[in-house]
Amino acid sequence: MLTHMESTTYLPSDYLPVVIQLGLALAFIVGTMIVTHMIGPNRKSEKKDEPFESGIPVQGDARTPISIKYFLIAIVFVLFDVEVIFLYPWAVNFKSLGMTGFIEMILFMGLLLAGFYYIIRKGVLKWE
Amino acid sequence: MASNIKMVEAPEGHTGEGFFATSMDKLIGMARANSLWPLPFATSCCGIEFMATMGAHYDIARFGAERPSFSPRQADVLLVAGTIAKKMAPVLKQVYLQMAEPRWVIAIGACASSGGIFDTYSVLQGIDRVIPVDVYVPGCPPRPEQILEGLMQVQELAKNESLRRRNQPEYQALLESYNIE
Amino acid sequence: MLTNQEVAEELIRQFGEDVYDFEDPFGLLTLSTTREQLIPMLQYLKDHKAYQINFLTDLTGIHYPDDPGREFCVVYHAHSLVHNFRIRIKVFLSEADLHIPSATVLYACANWMERETYDFFGIIFDGHPNLVRILNIDEMDYFPMRKEYPLEDQTREDKIDALFGR
Repeated sequence: MLTHMESTTYLPSDYLPVVIQLGLALAFIVGTMIVTHMIGPNRKSEKKDEPFESGIPVQGDARTPISIKYFLIAIVFVLFDVEVIFLYPWAVNFKSLGMTGFIEMILFMGLLLAGFYYIIRKGVLKWE
Repeated sequence: MASNIKMVEAPEGHTGEGFFATSMDKLIGMARANSLWPLPFATSCCGIEFMATMGAHYDIARFGAERPSFSPRQADVLLVAGTIAKKMAPVLKQVYLQMAEPRWVIAIGACASSGGIFDTYSVLQGIDRVIPVDVYVPGCPPRPEQILEGLMQVQELAKNESLRRRNQPEYQALLESYNIE
Repeated sequence: MLTNQEVAEELIRQFGEDVYDFEDPFGLLTLSTTREQLIPMLQYLKDHKAYQINFLTDLTGIHYPDDPGREFCVVYHAHSLVHNFRIRIKVFLSEADLHIPSATVLYACANWMERETYDFFGIIFDGHPNLVRILNIDEMDYFPMRKEYPLEDQTREDKIDALFGR
């Protein structure tokens, strides 16, 4: 038993093969990347470095500010999406969960709909 | 059980006990020839034939063209399938320009090769007016077998291409004749 | 049910001498008018209480090189969606003066159709918001549907006589 315990304690030098393996792996990756850049033909021009827009000229900048309304709608969508995920298993197990499950779900839906009523009153869904 | 899987043949070289030696050219040629990623530029009926070529029955993936690339950045071979109107020519040229070297071009069908039946003021009379073409596939439209044959011709080109070909003055002159930097 | 006769008589009552050349090929009422009366006529047909010919189906040009003084024709097809009644209005122009008022004041859809007609025939629609080429390349320096220009691309090399043994 004791000898078995001793055999599982490693000296730092025992990790040498792992270090070598790691070094080789890194050297292979870095080496391949450098070599492929050296041997492959390449060509650089202004037109080549333009963003690819299916060949048509680029118009404007992609990084323009987007109205916050999109994010609010998206978040509301995710909220109700997740709610449906909860509803499905509840509906499947409706009988076995019994009255407790029903009351819990009423509470859950009540909270959610209260939030929904709040955002409607806040005017989140008003587009203009 | 006998296997009928066909493997890529090793290039010419010296074999011995536990080693194989060949030139870098041949090794890279073999690797390139069997991993040609196509960029389909399909504008009309030849494109439908190309879709059949990509499908399970003819299966272009058998030749290493596993992944049709819809961005020119990772594509190796541009397949122009269909009529190219003169208004489309700058778009085609831009797509070609944005491909990474080494790049090959196949003109699939009569329209891409020569304008075909559309001998008219609005149609480009062959894509070789705007970009250099490596392989022309005849037909209106060509059968998928013909398109595969075209791809195999590009494989032959890739296999036998010298590593320095794209740096040679002839190649530079060819590109310059198309006003490509 | 609207009849060709009824609409033609109504138009003669309204425009008198300015409508002429009545025809009905394949039952389609066809008539010619002058450049000046075109927009009032389209307006009249559009606003007419009973006819309601309020949809511009098509607009194009024709070139008649052998007809001096009437070399170009602009054709308007209008449709009454209520009565399923169609009418074709032609305006002839001379090559020296290819101006015609734009129908974009009445129909927004005339915008692209007039650009197309300009692109292929070189007819100038006065008052059009953006009269530039729409289908052909911007560098094109002629109007390809005019009959003095050949249909074929002149740079093609594989249809020369030598290749066919001629």
